[in-house]
Amino acid sequence: MDTMTKEAIRYLGYGKHAVDDHTLALISDSFLNLGTAAGRKFIYRIFDLKQMADDKILIETAEIYSKNLRKNLKGCNKIVLFGATLGIGVDRLIRRASLTDMAKAVVLQACAAAMLEEYCDECQDNIGRELKPQGLYLRPRFSPGYGDFDIQYQAVLMQMLDCAKKIGLTMTDSFMMSPTKSVTAVIGASAAKEKCHIKGCESCSKEDCAYRRDTI
Amino acid sequence: MILDRLGKELLFFDGGMGTLLQAEGLKPGELPETWNIMHADVITDIHRQYIESGSDIVLTNTFGANALKFHDETCSLQEIVRTAVIHAKTAAALAETGGREIYTALDVGPTGKLLRPMGDLDFEDAYEAFGEVMRCGAEAGADLIHIETMSDTYELKAAVLAAKENTSLPVFVTTIFDERGKLLTGADVPAVVALLEGLRVDALGINCGLGPVQMLPVFEQILQYTSLPIIVKPNAGLPKQVRGETYYDVLPREFAATMREIVSQGAAIVGGCCGTTPEHIREMTEICRGMPLKPIAEKNITMVSSYGQSVCFGQGSKIIGERINPTGKKRFKQALKEHDIDYILKEGITQQDLGAHILDVNVGLPDIDETAVMVEVVEELQSVTNLPLQIDTVDAKAMEAALRIYNGKPMVNSVSGKQESMDVVFPLMQKYGGVVIGLTLDETGIPKTAEERVAVARKIIKEAKKYGIQKKDIVIDVLAMTISSEPEGAKVTLEALKKVREELGVHTVLGVSNISFGLPGRPVINSNFYTMAMLNGLSAGIINPFSEEMMKSFYAYHALMNLDSNCEKYISRYAGISSAVQDASSGASKMSLKTAIEKGLKEEAYHITSDMVKKQAPLDIINEHLIPALDYVGKGFEQGTVFLPQLLVSAETAKASFAILKDSLAKSGGQGEKKDKVILATVKGDIHDIGKNIVKVLLENYGFDVIDMGKDVAPERITEKAKEENVQLVGLSALMTTTVVSMEETIRQLRKSVPGCQVMVGGAVLNQEYADMIGADFYGKDAMQSVYYAQRVFKGDKKEKMRLS
Repeated sequence: MDTMTKEAIRYLGYGKHAVDDHTLALISDSFLNLGTAAGRKFIYRIFDLKQMADDKILIETAEIYSKNLRKNLKGCNKIVLFGATLGIGVDRLIRRASLTDMAKAVVLQACAAAMLEEYCDECQDNIGRELKPQGLYLRPRFSPGYGDFDIQYQAVLMQMLDCAKKIGLTMTDSFMMSPTKSVTAVIGASAAKEKCHIKGCESCSKEDCAYRRDTI
Repeated sequence: MILDRLGKELLFFDGGMGTLLQAEGLKPGELPETWNIMHADVITDIHRQYIESGSDIVLTNTFGANALKFHDETCSLQEIVRTAVIHAKTAAALAETGGREIYTALDVGPTGKLLRPMGDLDFEDAYEAFGEVMRCGAEAGADLIHIETMSDTYELKAAVLAAKENTSLPVFVTTIFDERGKLLTGADVPAVVALLEGLRVDALGINCGLGPVQMLPVFEQILQYTSLPIIVKPNAGLPKQVRGETYYDVLPREFAATMREIVSQGAAIVGGCCGTTPEHIREMTEICRGMPLKPIAEKNITMVSSYGQSVCFGQGSKIIGERINPTGKKRFKQALKEHDIDYILKEGITQQDLGAHILDVNVGLPDIDETAVMVEVVEELQSVTNLPLQIDTVDAKAMEAALRIYNGKPMVNSVSGKQESMDVVFPLMQKYGGVVIGLTLDETGIPKTAEERVAVARKIIKEAKKYGIQKKDIVIDVLAMTISSEPEGAKVTLEALKKVREELGVHTVLGVSNISFGLPGRPVINSNFYTMAMLNGLSAGIINPFSEEMMKSFYAYHALMNLDSNCEKYISRYAGISSAVQDASSGASKMSLKTAIEKGLKEEAYHITSDMVKKQAPLDIINEHLIPALDYVGKGFEQGTVFLPQLLVSAETAKASFAILKDSLAKSGGQGEKKDKVILATVKGDIHDIGKNIVKVLLENYGFDVIDMGKDVAPERITEKAKEENVQLVGLSALMTTTVVSMEETIRQLRKSVPGCQVMVGGAVLNQEYADMIGADFYGKDAMQSVYYAQRVFKGDKKEKMRLS
């Protein structure tokens, strides 16, 4: 079973339980549909990073206050701003399924989330490969909304990346991304290679989460 | 006047602005438009350089200058726009032009927001944001409006309408296509052309996204569809990224050479976008100036579009699905009265799945606000289907409101030969664009002979011409009269169809099923008449795609007339059909309904229920089989042996059974018991509604009457509805911390206005503590918990007893 399928099953709440055949069929069907509906796009830019006192970091003129982010970026002198989306076709696909077949809608939702994560990983690998010759190594992605990295910083990231024009990624007044299957994040880059490259899920402080990867 | 020269001689736009500003020190995230005030000299000088490089039209530095995107405390939007126009004009006065006339184009870019229902921006708010800038630019003396880099047809429509209604300036439009020839939101080239020609812009084309070479295939498609002058403004190559910085590497000479090719193929205005510099423009103007323009051929294509695709008439017959219409449909009338939009949307989706190309939308019913419902249904349909819609109403107000918010170039049903009708409908078509159905009847009624009907068609076409509406935007309905009262009815209609196609050269539509009114076995007559009509030139039949007989005629006709290459569509539809049906029904008899539901076998549940209902009372089936099955699955879900997809598959399966039982109850005249009403809504600001939809499916399964208010719903609307429907329970969902605020506000308002009403909440960021804090009565950690709570709220009702029995 591939990673995307495994992740989709985790998002659907199966935990350690075996997935039934019907759901498995729905999953493979959903990935097929998503393959057609998705218009994957990403963008990134690299900036110098200044870490100031009082949990403040500075990217060009943008100031960000976050203890968790500062910890994530410890030892980094460059920062990658990153945005990626599966496109609006996926939203339409899920909306359509919500009217005709809710089980399919839920499975599509989980598969799209898995697909997006995989896509972000792929993009990050490519960026990492590009930076390696300069002796720079990437940290795990960190998104607005993680820990005390306020969701409102999403606006700053999206403006600096010109996300709407470049990849069609926009934000509502309440900071929800539209298309919904989208990510914005920062990725620290440092000269020292970090030993553990933990992905987002395990590093989250919500340890009683039913979907948590390292406890299920 | 630029319009005197447009399309007659080659004109040149300028090149990129952003790249040059970055070289001058514009910071990432800094608003380039503020430079109109902070660095006026830099902006003026860039314009001057472009003019001296040969540009005839310069774009003002206002790409992001709209109230939705531009937020800066130091300078006002009006000031930004006003100074931008002045800088362009000043540059024109300063520059060495050799006497060339220079035009200032007010540059209008996208708002950076997505429109409802996919995003949270209202169509009219987008319109107003554009209108504000355009009024300002026109006052400051801009010569034309150039709307560019648009990647969404809906936002584009708002911008063009704003330009047309707020100014009298010429309107140029370019959109950003990818290499597949699609906009980000899905529209293909003909869909964009159809929309823009319908809105009567002065020139259209493509900019940004691609380099000149990659633009060629898209440009060729535009040439194939449009009759308007074409604008081409490529980037200096495909954007490339190194270390996160974007750059473009097509050099001026190479750029110019491709632009020369583009001009020789038929572009009327050329320029550059990202990465192009005054040097690119200079090379281009030097080798292109004086080239003759290739005349643009008038295209005679009858074409309608949606946000995502176009449908062109010709090449076989098209199916216009007729199901979204209350006439003669009890269930549909009920859906309209109860505001059951989902039912209507499902009718749309199913017709698409069955093969419809266009959907007719008629929501006319006495006692409902047709304009409001029409707008809502059109908007919602646009978020679930990419089929073009046919707006079907006799109410001019509803027609205009729908035309305004329609995302594309619609069909309109209809205008007649009556002067009164033409006086009302044609001005709307002139303004918004569309393909209108002309009914061959006039003040004297429906003519008896084919010749007379053709004469009415001719009159309609002639009158339309006065409004500048071309023949290609009219399709004629010669009307089918039932043969039960008009023995010659079919013959006259077929003859008229043929004449209209041959003599007038316009396309035709027909409401096919009228032909059999009053006769038994109507599908027999309808489907045969349908074949005859297609053979006589029917371009599109307004039919019921649910009718297998009609679809058989459709597929057979196209296969027989070599309009279905290698009979591909015919084969994919009819190969292996009969055996599948048999399998489904034979397996069914051995299984119990409970098993079918637990396993989520929809087909089987359907057949078993159909069999059972012949022998048992519907209510007994519900109590003895359906509810226990649902309870079993629900408990499994709680205990962690059944998971969400399975729970929902069972729920959907049960729904199929319920539908049969409801029908049977209705037929026997028995009323289903009065249901308990629950309001569900995703709160204001929140557009993520999957959780709410899950709860809805389950609540409905357990017999609740769910009033689904959708997503992004204002507290006032929820409160008002709760009061109006006198509900005892409201369920709210929110996904993010930023939207829990609206949840709290909704609860506050509900407490004040509807004191007895209980509120349950759910959503990713919530927990018991949070729910308590915002004053909710109940926190549902999963969908089943919400069902159990709802049952507790309505305790004492039959349903609860049923569940416990």
